[in-house]
Amino acid sequence: MVDSMLIIESFSDALVSGLIAALMTVVNLLPSSVSDAFQYAFMQRALLTSVLVGAICGMLSCYVVLKRWSLLGDAISHAVLPGVAIAYLLGWPFFVGAFITGALTSVGIGAIERNTRIKSDAAMGLMFTASFALGVVIISKLASSTHLMHILFGNVLGVKHSALMLTFVASIIAILAVWLAYRPLLLYAFDPQQAQALGFNTQIIHYGLILLLTLTIVASLETVGIILVVAMLITPGATAHLLTDRFKVMLFISVSVGVCSAVIGLWLSVVFNVASGGAIVLVAFGFFIMALLFSPRQGLILQQWRRRKMG
Amino acid sequence: MNTDMSHQVAAIEVQGLYAAYQRQTVLENIHLTFPAGKWTAIVGPNGAGKSTLFHVLTGSMKALRGSISAFGEPIVKLRRAGQIAYMAQREAIEWDFPVSVWDTVMGGRYGHMRDDVLWRRLLPARWHHVRHTEAVEKALIAVDMLAHAERPIGALSGGQKKRVLLARALAQQASILLLDEPLAGVDPPSEKLILAVLRREREAGKTVIMVTHDMPGARRYVDHVVLINRFVRGTGTPEDMLSETKLAELAVSSIEQTTTDRQTVPAASFSPEQG
Repeated sequence: MVDSMLIIESFSDALVSGLIAALMTVVNLLPSSVSDAFQYAFMQRALLTSVLVGAICGMLSCYVVLKRWSLLGDAISHAVLPGVAIAYLLGWPFFVGAFITGALTSVGIGAIERNTRIKSDAAMGLMFTASFALGVVIISKLASSTHLMHILFGNVLGVKHSALMLTFVASIIAILAVWLAYRPLLLYAFDPQQAQALGFNTQIIHYGLILLLTLTIVASLETVGIILVVAMLITPGATAHLLTDRFKVMLFISVSVGVCSAVIGLWLSVVFNVASGGAIVLVAFGFFIMALLFSPRQGLILQQWRRRKMG
Repeated sequence: MNTDMSHQVAAIEVQGLYAAYQRQTVLENIHLTFPAGKWTAIVGPNGAGKSTLFHVLTGSMKALRGSISAFGEPIVKLRRAGQIAYMAQREAIEWDFPVSVWDTVMGGRYGHMRDDVLWRRLLPARWHHVRHTEAVEKALIAVDMLAHAERPIGALSGGQKKRVLLARALAQQASILLLDEPLAGVDPPSEKLILAVLRREREAGKTVIMVTHDMPGARRYVDHVVLINRFVRGTGTPEDMLSETKLAELAVSSIEQTTTDRQTVPAASFSPEQG
């Protein structure tokens, strides 16, 4: 048992260093004014973490945007805080606690919505602020305020090896899950009633998707933090939605936008010495604005031009 | 209750069904038999629970009480076998969704794809088993939409959207077709085409069950009519059930209904049963 754990650990260690080496060969092709910043080990860890987080957030954001789950994503990301705090208290892995409180909150939202006259937006606002408040209270009791700040806003330059490994494993799980359950997930997002009529268990798909969201949010804790992670779960998907009418292309664009904003944002944050989480989200928003203006079909500029041509 | 049909095999049998949204009862004490290989029309005023009945039949809504069997077995079994095809109302679909007509119709095959070997299920659409692509092509030809296969669904006209939804149900090659208002808001040529397709399906031995407001169409084509308004208000032949007096009775029953405060389903719902 211990032996196999060791083997898995050294294997994933090797994978991570391999990935870093691969990333660095690309980075070293860039002008030295850019690549110089990435010669330190902590920068390389930050780079790989950002790439992974950008990729899985981009992937999940397609489902979040199409399923109209933006507010739910926000709710889960806040609800994760007490779970992280309790897991820290009990010495559990972050993910376990985060998933428990994330799932409890989403179940609570559903229960309030179904059984009372409170509408879903109020139910969500109510549950996630309460959960978040609980997290703030627990953390204020047990840890320093810098620790809380890191969870809330991320600190990608301080990513430790263990956190990188967590992000790496979470990314592999998320990518495998989306690949293996590609069709049920797509059908569930498009037409849940049809999925049900075909005998798919939509309860399992629903909570599976929430589990994937939680996993992604936990994996993004150190990079963008739980306040800003929801931006990475909406912006890449929304950008891609403006640019294509094919789901697979949307996935591809969304992942690209996620990865590019994470890498460019990281670099800008080092160059200008600003918060990395904020920089990453702003770059993603920049991509969205570009798509909004220049998209061939949905873009504002071409729409204006077409209108003028017709009038 | 419907003695003329009792000697036939039941495709779907509903017994003692109750269904409710939140605390508003929509269906009460429903006992129904849908004969196999026949074309049944479900008729009733707006808010009578017709779509709710379909939600329960497709499993997207849980019944409060009652049981549903299909060909003598729990209906879940038939769903898992991909034998229940469902055509949604146009309003129930997100037409901005980034899928093509072809991909949408292929969705009808997803149930059967569970029977494929693992390596095929892990590969993209190009490697799908040829029986799936053939079924999709056949369905698109049947509704005259093959020329539009590569278009995004959002770019279609109203009648074309309906035909794509019908094609998705056809591609499933199921033994039971559930159609929620297949003729609502379609252009006359599409309506003619849809009715012709459904007649062919019935002739091929399929059980067709549709919700409709189209009385002339129902009188002309269907074999069996179910009148519903919260309770079952009558079952029988189109001549008996769609007479002016019967329809007037049904309308009166709906005026009695309007006194109850009806609650609508929220548009954005986050519980899995309602999507």
